[in-house]
Amino acid sequence: MEIGRCWDFKDDEQPPYPTIKVTLSSGDREAMIAPKVDTGFNGWLAVGAEAVRRLRLTPRGTVLVRAATGHSEVPVYAVKISQADLALTYTTLAIGTERSLVGRKLLENRIWLLDHKNGRFCMMTPT
Amino acid sequence: MMRPFVEAVRTFKWEPFRSADLVEKLGYASGYARNFLSQATRQGLLIVESKKGKREKTFRANPSVVREIVLKGGKEKEELLQALGLHSRYPGQYIALRGFKVIDHDADLYRLGERIFPDTEAEDEIVITNVGKPKKMITIEV
Repeated sequence: MEIGRCWDFKDDEQPPYPTIKVTLSSGDREAMIAPKVDTGFNGWLAVGAEAVRRLRLTPRGTVLVRAATGHSEVPVYAVKISQADLALTYTTLAIGTERSLVGRKLLENRIWLLDHKNGRFCMMTPT
Repeated sequence: MMRPFVEAVRTFKWEPFRSADLVEKLGYASGYARNFLSQATRQGLLIVESKKGKREKTFRANPSVVREIVLKGGKEKEELLQALGLHSRYPGQYIALRGFKVIDHDADLYRLGERIFPDTEAEDEIVITNVGKPKKMITIEV
């Protein structure tokens, strides 16, 4: 195995946290964001208020989710997520949260390197 | 206003009803029934249907209200889903609603989303929501 594409940790909070850059689109609008990798999130994507505003997303419903602080009802949006390094282009429902997150569905079936020493999150590729 | 509306939905679903039906089936005083019908119509919760030659108006729950209530969420959404009998038919599932009609359902939110919103331009009238506590609930850590 060798280290493939890496994304730097974000350090706007301590300790710094892993991210993956993804492109989101809806209609003719597009935004590149670097959501936090949340391995406790069992879905694809959560979009923060800023991304919702930039993409002018309108809610397609509401669902109950369980967060660390308890249950809450959040909006859901239909959004297209693209990530070239993962060969991923997929339209999915994204839940609306305070900040953008990527969940385990985006990580599954791949090997990842959480490199705290160098502050990066990397995809491992077979040699 | 919401409570008598939900009661009307529970009793008549999307079928037409008259002021007299509210008195007879829900036990409302006729003044209260008339007042409710007038206010609920003004607020867009009900649609008036006048038939030619008939003096008495009939009313019907406005299907577009379902979307608004689902998007607002909370207790009113739960009460409406309950009134539509969905808690017993789709417990713990995610449903897609067009007006009062369930057009699809699934225990998995993402599978349902794939079918209902194959692209981001899919029709606006449809809303997705959970019925009760989802069996496959979305969890987030932060």
